[in-house]
Amino acid sequence: MWLINRKPTKSLALASALALGTTLFGALLPLQADETCQSPYMAKIVGQEDFVYVWTLGIEGLGDGQDKLVTIDVNPKSSNYGKVVDSLSVGGRNEAHHSGFTDDRHYLWAGGLDTNKLFIFDVHSDPAKPKLHKVITDFVEKSGGVVGPHTTYALPGRIMITGLSNNKDHGGRTALVEYTNEGEYVATHWMPTDQNLRGAEKSGKYADGYNYDVRVLPRRNIMLTSSFTGWSNYMMDFGKMLQDKEAMKRFGNTVVLWNLHSKKPKKVFDVPGAPLEIRCAWQPNHNWCVTTTALTSKIWLIYEDQQGEWQAKAVADVGDPSKVPLPVDISISSDDSRLWVNTFMDGKTRLFDMSDPHAPKQVYEKVIGRQVNMASSSWDSTRIYYTSSLLANWDKKGEDNEQYFKSYVWDGGKLVEKFAIDFNKEKLGRAHQMRFGAYSLYGAVRPEDRDVSVASLQSISK
Amino acid sequence: MYRLFLASLLFAVTSVSALSAAQLSDSAPGYGKLGYPLPEIGSYALPSLGRAADGEILDSSGVRRSLHEIFSDRYVLLAFIYSTCSDVNGCPLSSHVFYKVKSAMKRDAELADRLKMVSLSFDPENDTPEVMRLYSNNFRYAGKAGEWQFITTASQQQLRPILQSYNQVVQQEVDDKGNPVVGYSHVLRVFLIDPEKRIRNIYSVDFLHHELIINDLKTLLKQQAAQGRMIQAAARIDEPGQLSKPGDYKQGYEAESYTTRSLDLESRRGEAADLLGIANNPPLGLPPIPVPADNPLTREKIELGRRLFFDRRLSLNDTFSCAMCHVPEQGFTSNELAMAVGIEGRSVRRNSPSVYNSAYAALLFHDGREESLEQQVWGPLLARNEMANPSVGYVLQKIRGIADYDGSFEAAFDGRGVSMETLGMAIASYQRTLVSADSAFDRWYYGGDKQALSAAAQRGFDLFAGKAGCASCHRLGDDHALFTDNDLHNTGIGYRESMGIVPEKQPILVAPGVVLEVDRAVIEQVGEPPPTDVGRYEVTQNPNDRWKYKTPGLRNVALTAPYMHNGSLGTLREVVDFYDRGGVSNELLDPLIRPLGLSDAEKADLVAFLQSLTGGNVDTLVADAFAAPVGDVGEGDPSWVHGTEVEVR
Repeated sequence: MWLINRKPTKSLALASALALGTTLFGALLPLQADETCQSPYMAKIVGQEDFVYVWTLGIEGLGDGQDKLVTIDVNPKSSNYGKVVDSLSVGGRNEAHHSGFTDDRHYLWAGGLDTNKLFIFDVHSDPAKPKLHKVITDFVEKSGGVVGPHTTYALPGRIMITGLSNNKDHGGRTALVEYTNEGEYVATHWMPTDQNLRGAEKSGKYADGYNYDVRVLPRRNIMLTSSFTGWSNYMMDFGKMLQDKEAMKRFGNTVVLWNLHSKKPKKVFDVPGAPLEIRCAWQPNHNWCVTTTALTSKIWLIYEDQQGEWQAKAVADVGDPSKVPLPVDISISSDDSRLWVNTFMDGKTRLFDMSDPHAPKQVYEKVIGRQVNMASSSWDSTRIYYTSSLLANWDKKGEDNEQYFKSYVWDGGKLVEKFAIDFNKEKLGRAHQMRFGAYSLYGAVRPEDRDVSVASLQSISK
Repeated sequence: MYRLFLASLLFAVTSVSALSAAQLSDSAPGYGKLGYPLPEIGSYALPSLGRAADGEILDSSGVRRSLHEIFSDRYVLLAFIYSTCSDVNGCPLSSHVFYKVKSAMKRDAELADRLKMVSLSFDPENDTPEVMRLYSNNFRYAGKAGEWQFITTASQQQLRPILQSYNQVVQQEVDDKGNPVVGYSHVLRVFLIDPEKRIRNIYSVDFLHHELIINDLKTLLKQQAAQGRMIQAAARIDEPGQLSKPGDYKQGYEAESYTTRSLDLESRRGEAADLLGIANNPPLGLPPIPVPADNPLTREKIELGRRLFFDRRLSLNDTFSCAMCHVPEQGFTSNELAMAVGIEGRSVRRNSPSVYNSAYAALLFHDGREESLEQQVWGPLLARNEMANPSVGYVLQKIRGIADYDGSFEAAFDGRGVSMETLGMAIASYQRTLVSADSAFDRWYYGGDKQALSAAAQRGFDLFAGKAGCASCHRLGDDHALFTDNDLHNTGIGYRESMGIVPEKQPILVAPGVVLEVDRAVIEQVGEPPPTDVGRYEVTQNPNDRWKYKTPGLRNVALTAPYMHNGSLGTLREVVDFYDRGGVSNELLDPLIRPLGLSDAEKADLVAFLQSLTGGNVDTLVADAFAAPVGDVGEGDPSWVHGTEVEVR
C-alpha cells in the first residue's frame, strides 16, 4: 500500500513490492518494523509495535470455552508490557485460525475454519481494545459452497480469502473468494481441476483443486496459492487421521500460479506433501517465493527463471523428514536473507540462511516449547513472537499441550526470551495467529505519552 | 498568483522527466512501461465491488451538482487528489496516469467516447473551484479528445460522506504528542466505475497504469457488448463427468505414478428425478419397498425430506447435514474416511454406512440398535459427536425459524407442522426412495440376459454362492436379492480393533508414493486414545454378542469403499483376502467364517462379481441429489449474530 503524504512523518511508512523505502516529500524513509508476512498493499508500522492480537481458539471446559481475540501489550515502554490487556470472546468454537488486516489496516478479518464465520474487528478506534465490528455468517451460501475461510489477504479495497474445503464432501476441492473491505461478497475463483483447468497449464501430474495460503508479487503480476486438505482432515483428531489410510490420501500436492490482475490460474506446479505458508521476497529484484511442505518436510522455491518462466523446485530439507517434524509457519526477513521455519512436532524454530534461495542452509535452531506453530517477526528482525496451536484437534494431548504466547529478541546470534504468557493458565485457549497493532498507524500516540504532562500536574497538586 | 505558481510547480513534478534518478528507482509502475504482458481483453471478469456513491460537489465553475450527474452515463475513472500534494507516488501519479489515458483518447475514439475521468479534491479549504480550474490547465496538452473534470466540494461537511462511502480514510498527521500538524495521508485508490454506478476495479499504486486501465475498460465494453454473457461459459471442460464417483480421484495414490483426475465442483450439477416413481417401482432385482402404514410415500414428503437431508443448518453449528457423511457421489457414504468425523471434528467410531436400499433394512446402525428409518434419523441429529443438537426441541425450533421451511411440513403432513415425528417421517421418505438395482448381475440373473454379465463375474457368482460361502449371510432370493440376512456376526475385525496389539512403527503415506515409518509414540502424542467398540454387546449387554456387527447389503458395494464397520479395508480385494484367511481368530468368531483356500484367479473373479452389483440407476439418483439445494446459513436464518448490531452495520 502507498500513502499520499504532504510531509514526512514518523507514524506511517509504506511497504511496497517495488521498493523498501518510499518517497515522502522526496525523502527516502527506511521501513523499520512490522511483521514480514503481510500483504505488500498494507500500511506498515515504523518503530515499535504496541500490541499483538492473538486469534485464539476456545477449549471446551477451559474458561468461557469460546474463541477470542486476545490483545497483548508488547511495548517495553508500557506499564502493561507483557500483559494481556484485552480479551474479546466471539461466541462458539469456530476453529479460529488465520487473520489479516484490510489494506488501510483499520479492520482485522479473522476466519473460522469450522463454522465459516468471518469476524471483522475494528482495530483503529482503540488499538488497545478491538471491537467486534461485523460478523459474516453466510460465507458458504454467498460463495457457492466454499468452506473453511483461511487466509484473509489485503488487496486494494478488498480482501482475498482462501477456502480450504467445500459444502458437498468436506474434501479439499475449493476456491478463492473475494470480498470488499465493507464485507460484501464479490466473486468466487475456483481452483483449477483436471476437469476444468480454467486455462492453466498442468505442469506435472497433479491438479487437485486444493488451496491454503495466498501471496502476491505485484511487480510480476503474479499470485500464488498453496494446498492443504479439506474439512474432514483439518478438523479430525490428528492421531486418528495418521492411521486412516483414506484420509492420508487427501492432502494437497500443488502450488498454483495465477495472473494477479485477471485472477486467472496460469500454471499448476507439483509440490507434494501439503505446501502451506507462502512468503514472497521483498527485494525489488528477488522474483521468488518460498513455501514448506508439512508432510514431506521440504522448503520449495517458486521462482522466475532467466527465460521469464516460473518454476518450482525443492531446495532443502527441514530437519529429518523421516521423523515428520511437520514444518508449519515460516517467516521471511525483510531483506530476504533469512527464513524462520517452525517445526510443530519437536517444538523448534529453525533459522535458514536464504542468501542463495536455491540452497538454503539451516544456521540456528532453538526449542520454543513442546509444540510450536506460528512465528511473527518485526520488520527489522530484532523481535520475534511465537504461539503454540496448530489446529484444535491436531495439537498435542495431555501435558504436551502447552498453549502460550512467547516474546523473543534476536541478538544477532541467538534468541533471548523476554516474556511468556501461559494461555492454559490464563484460561484463554489455544494461541494461534498473531497480528501487530500500533497507535502510530492511526495518527495517534500511546495514552501514557499523551497523559504525561497532565499526570505530572495532578501528582503535584496532590 | 501564489496558487497559480504552485499548481504549475506541481505539474512539473508529475512529469517523469522532472524526477531524479533516485526518485525514479522508487517510482510507481504507472510512470514507466508495464513489466508484464496484459491479460487478453475480455478474457477475465471484473465483478462489481459495490456501489459508487453519490454526493454533492462543486464543478470547476463553482456550480453545485451531484457526483452522479458528473458521472453521467459513462464509464468513469475517479481519483481523490489535492492540488498541493507532492508525493511523487501519490496524487501526481494518478494525474500522470490520467494524463496518459487522456492522451490515448486522441487515437481511440471509443475510449474518448465511453470513458470520463474525474479528479475530486479532498482539501475543500484550499482547493476552491478556481484552484481546480487552474490545476486542470496543467494537463491541457493531453489533447482535446475525451473529458477530464476537476471538481471539489463546498466544505468538509459535504466531503466527509463521500470519502466515507468510498472508504477513503484521510488522516490528519500528528506530532509525537498527538497534536495535529499540517499534512494528510491516505491510501491511494483510483476507482473504475461503470454506467450503472458500480465499482468495477480499484487501483492502488502497484496497479495504477494507463495500459491496465484501458485494458479493463475494453474488457468491460466487450462484455457489455456480449450482453453480459458470462465469460465462464467459455471455460473449457476437458472431460465429461461421470456422476457416481468421488470428485477427488485418489486411485493409485500409493504409487509415485499417481495422477489426479479431479472433477470440478462448479460442474457438479444434476437434474431432479421422479423419486416417487422409482420407489413405487423398484428396479430389477429388488422387492417392493416396505412402507410403514402411518407414513405412506408422497411427493411432498420426499421433496421435503430431500431438502432436510442436504441441510447443514440441521446441526448445532450449521456445518453438518446428513449428506456430509452420506455423500451422494461417494455411494451415499464417504470414500474419504475410514471412520466418520462429526461436528467440531469429533471422532465417530464407525464407518458411514451407505443409504442406498436402506428402505429394506430391518436393523439400522452397524450394531442394529434401531428399527425404523423414522426413528434412526434422530440418532445422528442428537449424537454429541455427529450433528450435536442439544435437544429435540432445539432442532424443531430451529427449523421453524428457517424461512425455507415455512408451510412445508404443513403441506406434506396434512396440516401438521414440524415435530419429532414429522421430521423423521420426511427424511425417512427421501431415504426410502434411494433404491438401486438393475445391475449387470440383476440383468443376467433375474432378467435372463445371458450377455449382461462377464464370464469372470459369472465365475465369481458361482464362488459367492458356493465354495466361498458368502451367500450364507449375503443372501439371494428367487426373484430378488438384498444380499443380507439382516443379522449380526463376529468376523474378528472388531476383535482385532479392540484387542489387537499395535506395532511400534506404522507406515504412513505422506504423498503419492512416499511412505514413512512413523513411531507409535509420535501418533499417540497427537491423538486421543481410540474409543472402544464392542459391537452388538453394547446394545444387548450379552457377552456373547461382543464384536458382532450387522451384515450389510452388497448392492453398489464397488462405490462404498472403504469397507467393514471400521473402514479398515480399503478395497474389495482386501475384503476377499480377509475372508479367505478366515477372518481374525477369536473365541466368538462366527462359525461361518473359515479359511477358504481361494486361488488368486478365484479372488479376482469374486471381485469382478462384486463390481457387477452396481445399480443401473445410480447416476439418476446422484444427479437428483446434485440438483437438491444445499442448506447453508443465509440472511435471517437462526443465528445469534442476526439482528444484532454486528450484523446490522
